[in-house]
Amino acid sequence: MASAPPPAAPGVVASGTSLPLLRHRALFSNFFRRERFARYLGSVSGFAWAFLHPLALLGVYHFVFTTVFRAGAMNGKSFLLFVAVALWPWLAAQEALQRGTVSIGGYAGLIRKVAFPHELIVYASVAATLVLQFVGYLVVLVVLALFGEPVRFEGLLLAIPLWIVLSVAITGLALGLAALQVFIRDIEHILLPVLMILMYLTPILYPLSLVPESMKPWVAANPFGYLVDRLRDALLDGQLAIGWGDAAAVVVALALFAAGRWVFLRLSPHFEDFV
Amino acid sequence: MSAPLLHLSGVGKDYAKLDTNAGRVGLVFDLLRGRGVTHAFHALDDISFDLAAGESLGIIGENGAGKSTLLKVVAGVITPTRGSVDVRGRVGALLELGSGFHPEYSGLANIDLAAALLGLTPSEIAAKRDEIVAFADIGEHIHDPIKHYSSGMVVRLGFAVATALKPDVLITDEVLAVGDESFQKKCVAWMENYLAGGGTLLLCSHSMYHVQKLCRAALWLKDGRIVRHGPSPEVTQAYLAYHEEKSVGAKKPIAAPRASAEGYYAIQSLTVDPPGRIAAGATLAVRGEVYSPDDRVPVVLIGLVRADGTPVYGVATDMDGVAPVRVRAQRFAFWLTFPQLPLLPGKYLVRAHALDPEGVRLFDNVEQPFVVEGTTRELGLVRIGHGWNGSETK
Repeated sequence: MASAPPPAAPGVVASGTSLPLLRHRALFSNFFRRERFARYLGSVSGFAWAFLHPLALLGVYHFVFTTVFRAGAMNGKSFLLFVAVALWPWLAAQEALQRGTVSIGGYAGLIRKVAFPHELIVYASVAATLVLQFVGYLVVLVVLALFGEPVRFEGLLLAIPLWIVLSVAITGLALGLAALQVFIRDIEHILLPVLMILMYLTPILYPLSLVPESMKPWVAANPFGYLVDRLRDALLDGQLAIGWGDAAAVVVALALFAAGRWVFLRLSPHFEDFV
Repeated sequence: MSAPLLHLSGVGKDYAKLDTNAGRVGLVFDLLRGRGVTHAFHALDDISFDLAAGESLGIIGENGAGKSTLLKVVAGVITPTRGSVDVRGRVGALLELGSGFHPEYSGLANIDLAAALLGLTPSEIAAKRDEIVAFADIGEHIHDPIKHYSSGMVVRLGFAVATALKPDVLITDEVLAVGDESFQKKCVAWMENYLAGGGTLLLCSHSMYHVQKLCRAALWLKDGRIVRHGPSPEVTQAYLAYHEEKSVGAKKPIAAPRASAEGYYAIQSLTVDPPGRIAAGATLAVRGEVYSPDDRVPVVLIGLVRADGTPVYGVATDMDGVAPVRVRAQRFAFWLTFPQLPLLPGKYLVRAHALDPEGVRLFDNVEQPFVVEGTTRELGLVRIGHGWNGSETK
């Protein structure tokens, strides 16, 4: 028992400025599995849902837009593909935010009794949602292509980095909201209508070109609208050129992450008393 | 000498007292601006102690004294509001039954979770798994979800995880109280072994037996502050004495109606003569009346203590083979004199306790203060007869 104690005490973690993801990767993957486990009966059904849910949604949208509204083409492109390319990232972001916001509550017992970096909970929750939704996105694109829709798969070269930028931004927002939710329970109830309104204010189900001139700057100012445009550029038109706008998007995402994490680290030492 | 394994300095923990939602919003803004908690309840205040490798410390105190909060601060679960906690080594915490276990997970999956929570890497976890399963010794149940376990099995598993990971400091709460007799013995045996092997233990228990058996030092907490910290026999005895005094209760006489209802023997009056002040070496008389619910002759115990509670002398009627005198139904008088009282100047108390006729059960504690006056420069409590062998200076 004479050996020198290890330099870092795992019992005392809580704060710190370094990312604990690497050091606690075993815990992260444990939480990640728990998040999937909590959502589905098991990993097999979870995998199945990753395919079934997007396909069912796609079928419904096909019925509503193509069969009922007869919106066959939009700017010369298939309307179904036009919507699908933008709608999935939105659904992914929405679900990740909602689940991430309430994620801390599910670990109340652990937080009160064991020391670990609380931010791992939010990372695991957001990652579990986004990974699943991204798989669903790919499934939707493949199915659309099989039905003859002109999907430009080389666009994934840009779409994947765009998803990563989105993930960073969503993680930052979720960190901030999750920390606030512990103290102010209304956050989750405010979030739902806000996301709903935002969805209709974002050019997801319609192109920006249909928006009246007077309101265009407001709709165009929505950062998510920018992301939607870029995904359509990539997957509908196969445009892979990147510009200053993309650099700005990266900066915004990193700033959101830094701000959200700052809020989280300020509040997380007090979780134990409020969860 | 190396630095202590555990060093707490001026540790305090405040909890916010909130009753409105507006208060919660305000609190969030205060916390974001880096301000402390206003309107706080001090769960811990000014706690400082060191624990060197190989030492064992028992934490004792009443419910709500802050014992669990202190353990959680050391375990890193709670961030202290004030002061600092330095832990040089791996802390294994066994706080509450099955803490950190997920009820839906199997025993094996929970081992992985607990090890991951301790900060082990996947390869380290894989290397330890078999060892933990063997220690827990719960057979095939290791594959069942924890929610189907008996509480004893949960404790076994928790103990196996916390101990098999070879912590430098083991922190445990009231967990020893759970589990059957043989498991408790196994736990105690393991801990004695662990301590003998140079392990460091921080134990929190209501069992003075466990604290005295396992811990060399003890720390008594009351209302979040340290009352006493020292060798465990000393601290546990002081704590027990405090409890006796508390249960014996008020220092005022128990009125006859209540004593009658409860079946208590109770001192009804207590006077010292001369009252209040007495010259050193004068004669002190102690008089009073005692109530007996069944009219049998009670035993009366009279003690002299210094004002800080240090006992000086105590004697009971049955020790001297005397009995209080019956003055009327259910009332007995006692009268005790101390000729040439040898107490040195200072503040003292006379304590009187009523006991049952068998002299076994002690019912009350009535006190009467008095001051011994004098000009001597002698030190201590009592004057002891003595003689110097030397020549006089004058």
